[in-house]
Amino acid sequence: MLEQLPYIAAATVICLVLFVVIDIIWKLPKKGGVSGAEAIANDIEASGGSKHGGYMIGNIITSPDASAGTLLAACGFFIYGVIGAVAAAVLVFIGARICADKGFAGLTGALAATAVIWACTTFLGFAPETFIAGIVLAILIVEGLSLKLSSKIIGKLWGKRT
Amino acid sequence: MDILTLMAAFLIIVGGIAALISKSAFNKLIMLGVLTAGAVMLFVKDGFLDAAIAVSLLMPVGTLFILFLLGKKKEVKHD
Amino acid sequence: MIVEAICALAAVYAVIRIIFEKSTLKKLAYLNVLGFAVAGAIVLLLPHPITIGAAVAYFVGATLESNAIASTLAIGGEE
Repeated sequence: MLEQLPYIAAATVICLVLFVVIDIIWKLPKKGGVSGAEAIANDIEASGGSKHGGYMIGNIITSPDASAGTLLAACGFFIYGVIGAVAAAVLVFIGARICADKGFAGLTGALAATAVIWACTTFLGFAPETFIAGIVLAILIVEGLSLKLSSKIIGKLWGKRT
Repeated sequence: MDILTLMAAFLIIVGGIAALISKSAFNKLIMLGVLTAGAVMLFVKDGFLDAAIAVSLLMPVGTLFILFLLGKKKEVKHD
Repeated sequence: MIVEAICALAAVYAVIRIIFEKSTLKKLAYLNVLGFAVAGAIVLLLPHPITIGAAVAYFVGATLESNAIASTLAIGGEE
């Protein structure tokens, strides 16, 4: 039971890097997609955080983005292999359209996560359910511990890209 | 006792009590979301997947109606 | 076993943060963490192909609810 712990820690780092990189590639920290995301960004900035990091956290909250794609691809892979992960990717695309999101971050994140999880389980010996725990811990690090600190770090990364 | 069943029971009990004692209407809506999460987990545990899908798709529809009524009340108060 | 424990602990932590947070818009971030943990727990409860649909339906429903609450607060202002 406890011998899965190093695998879960490695999966947390992989998921964190994966969805932050894909969200920054799709320019989520640039502006709020819907009016709710801008309200969340203004609230985070009023309590001492960064504005662009607040935009990205608001976009994650109000529409399924690369983090949701990674979680649901891990769930689909745990149940039914690669076919389940691709089906989850299609469902994430439909869900993003329901939430009035015009981007492709969810679909891209789900497909990239499918490829990464397939490679890790086939060649490196990860169990598929470690990635579910990994993405839950990764989103807990980004949104659960301190919104002020995480928005500052994301804003710094966004400033480095532009 | 399974740990996930305990988690669903915790979500339902804490969400219900917090929805009862919170003052603001928006906080009540958020706590109802917590309660619904626990209820969906109990549906899935016993195998009622169709009921779980129906409840999780109808939950935001009810929230939208309550939010619409809240906006109406605010407009009336401002006039 | 340890994966279930991680999902349950993350959900309990998120509920406690929701209850003791003052700002309504910041509660939505912790509600999103709870949605992730519950969607993972749904899949771990019953490994069956239709469970993928149930998990996606729950997650999209929770996201749509957060979207509606945040949009209403952005238009009307917090009262």
